[in-house]
Amino acid sequence: MSRVQLEVLFGTLFVLLSGGLLLWYGLNEPKRMAEYELHQRAKAIEVGAELYDINCKGCHGPQGEGVAGLWPPLNDRHFFTNRLTEVGWSGTLEDYIISTVSGGRLVSTRPDRYPGQGRPVMPAWAESYGGPLRDDQIRNIAAFILNWKDTAPDRSTQMAEMAGPPTGTDINKELPQGDPTRGEGLANTKGCVVCHISAPTGPAWLATPDQPGIATRAEAILTDPNYTGNATSPAQYLHESIVLPNAYIVPGFQAGIMPANYGDTLTDQELADIIAYLLTLK
Amino acid sequence: MLKSLDIQDLKSKLYQAIDNRVRIITAGLNLRELRNVLRGDPPEEKPNPRYKVHTTSFLFHIRPRYYEKASTIFTHTFRLGFFSTFFFFVEAITGIILMIYYSPIPSAAYQSILNLESNVPYGKLLRDMHRLGAEAMVIFVFLHMMRTFLTGSYKKERSFTWFTGVLLLGVTLFLSFFGYLLPWDQLAYWAVTIGTGMAEAAPLFGREANLLLRGGPDIGANGLLRAYLLHVVLLPAVAVLLISIHYYKVSREHGISLPAKYEEGDLPAEEKKNAKQRIDFIPDLLTHEVFLTSFGIFVLIVSIIIFGYSAPLENVANPQVTPLDTKAPWYFWWLQGLLKLGDKTLMGVILPTIIGGLLIAIPYIDRNPYRSLYKRPLAVGIGILAILVLVVLSYMGTPLYGIETPAATRIVQDLAPEEGVGPLRKIPFDQLQPGTYEVTGSVPRDLCPNLDFGCPALTSVFAEYSRRITRAINDTTLPKIQRLPNGQAFLIIEDWQTDLRKVTFRILWDDPDTQQRKTFEKHIFIHRLRGDE
Repeated sequence: MSRVQLEVLFGTLFVLLSGGLLLWYGLNEPKRMAEYELHQRAKAIEVGAELYDINCKGCHGPQGEGVAGLWPPLNDRHFFTNRLTEVGWSGTLEDYIISTVSGGRLVSTRPDRYPGQGRPVMPAWAESYGGPLRDDQIRNIAAFILNWKDTAPDRSTQMAEMAGPPTGTDINKELPQGDPTRGEGLANTKGCVVCHISAPTGPAWLATPDQPGIATRAEAILTDPNYTGNATSPAQYLHESIVLPNAYIVPGFQAGIMPANYGDTLTDQELADIIAYLLTLK
Repeated sequence: MLKSLDIQDLKSKLYQAIDNRVRIITAGLNLRELRNVLRGDPPEEKPNPRYKVHTTSFLFHIRPRYYEKASTIFTHTFRLGFFSTFFFFVEAITGIILMIYYSPIPSAAYQSILNLESNVPYGKLLRDMHRLGAEAMVIFVFLHMMRTFLTGSYKKERSFTWFTGVLLLGVTLFLSFFGYLLPWDQLAYWAVTIGTGMAEAAPLFGREANLLLRGGPDIGANGLLRAYLLHVVLLPAVAVLLISIHYYKVSREHGISLPAKYEEGDLPAEEKKNAKQRIDFIPDLLTHEVFLTSFGIFVLIVSIIIFGYSAPLENVANPQVTPLDTKAPWYFWWLQGLLKLGDKTLMGVILPTIIGGLLIAIPYIDRNPYRSLYKRPLAVGIGILAILVLVVLSYMGTPLYGIETPAATRIVQDLAPEEGVGPLRKIPFDQLQPGTYEVTGSVPRDLCPNLDFGCPALTSVFAEYSRRITRAINDTTLPKIQRLPNGQAFLIIEDWQTDLRKVTFRILWDDPDTQQRKTFEKHIFIHRLRGDE
């Protein structure tokens, strides 16, 4: 065979082989594309989990459990079954989440149960509404939240399921013995860290190079002549600050910022635990 | 109406009509000639009708009628110029199709790539081909230049061709550089941020050059649109013009060089004459080129479909988060290496400009009239040295060299990189057994004895984690930044959601400078269906 003939032969062979490979590849395309979409969805959930961890868990809880009496749970059966009807939303749940996260909430839709705190009750998160997140990030967060759908527990009775009666606002009440370790956990789950942050050192009640921990600060305030509250000991001062936050406002802060309903959402034991924890921070 | 139906007559008339039509379509070859061409037989008519094609057909008139025999020797050219052009066409064709699915807007660009890969049949293949073709084109253009340099083919009448060739190398690099940004992922965004940042270092007009490229202080919608237009309009247009000039010189003026020994070696006159024998374009060279084309396409397709080449796509670009290991594409590592050596202006702008200028000036600097390797020891020596320098600089350009990352960050980054996959994400989901694993110095044989099949992948990642932590704790010869005095390290795996687990790396150590306890923590979420295990 001449060189030209060999080249024609092998050239044809290559073309046929390429064609065959392309055909085979094409037959697999629907499967590959479907898988790719699944992987993409999975990655969206991963990214959403990360973003939720950074931006949302403070109010809505690390596992979407919310904080009773303040911020609504998302990992909640009710959220997946009734929420859309409740607010009269005509789109999908995903649209609803994206819309809410993007624009935030000016006022609560359930002021009796989840009044939130401050105004707006939920800030806008989308860049287009002055928030920090891009649209694709918000879509990822929605994907993460929607992934709770199959396992979400029923939390509708959460308020009633408090471990005991609410502690009320009497600061002279005798509290049970508190456990500092449990208190530290509660400080994180009851939403305290949402506002009391002073990054990067952690919650604002810790000691920093500039000032001692909250227990020492409480002692100092009691001796301050400008103190207007009724507490007589550091423990009582902390008790007062939690259930009656406007009894005394530390200079430099505004009145009315801290929710005044912790007396309704904490039990005696929980309050005692938190105080015990804070008292360890000298 | 018909007086008589003469079949014979009709047949020959039909044959003549077809014959004529074929002659018109092929611009000069009749049926019989066409058959001879395909069979590789010599022409029958005189004058050679195959030459006529070169004057009547546009596409053939830009091709030469023949090459000299010795210039077609495979080991002389390695068909590098041909394949450079081949890949240019691959890029052009796949690129035009990709343009249908792409929108150069930051909020839509990344999504359009995801859509291309998940919703367009053959979409991923197209993108892979475009990306692989681009990398191959850089390689082939570079090798083509190397070959031209080593065979001394840039000399005398070919010096201008060399000049256009150097420009084409530049255009190729710029094409791939701006194309790199278009997927709008982290990899792209930060590599191009660094690249355009170099323009800023240019003396006198640096600020303006940077603003012009990025369309603002940072790369955003303007920068993306500019990169896109450069990539799909301006640079391809320049490339077409330069390729035309480059090729016109070769085909019409000086041809492909002969191997040096046929020009200046002491071979018998007969052999030298033989080397100049004509090889006609039709059919020999044409068949060869069609063969090479089908071979090239076959190799491209096989490397993607069988060997699984896949164009990378990382997380969507995030101007707020600089990834730990920002890396340029490999063909720019040498430049990153240069940048690590000194001042941005000197190393990033002035030196590369000088290198380009030197490349262009080679034919004018090199006055040695010989082309043979053995008669140009200095030039060949410098060429080899240049390659070595390029390799060393490229190594220095990778994050392996000269970047000091604190131990904890480095170890976690190596196991679970911010971008890309890494060993941790390759662990099968079911082996990520929830629990808290502490580094104690001795590595257990199997981390999950409760599982029937154990968790070898998790165990081996944890072993690597332990090994590196232990070394950072105990090895006092390491530099301070790579040590973890009194270190403690954990790997925590938690069930987080349906099919979602949270992996936490937590490392604590005494900071030697402040004597305080420091903590490094990194959370990684892994979904069962992420598809990287």
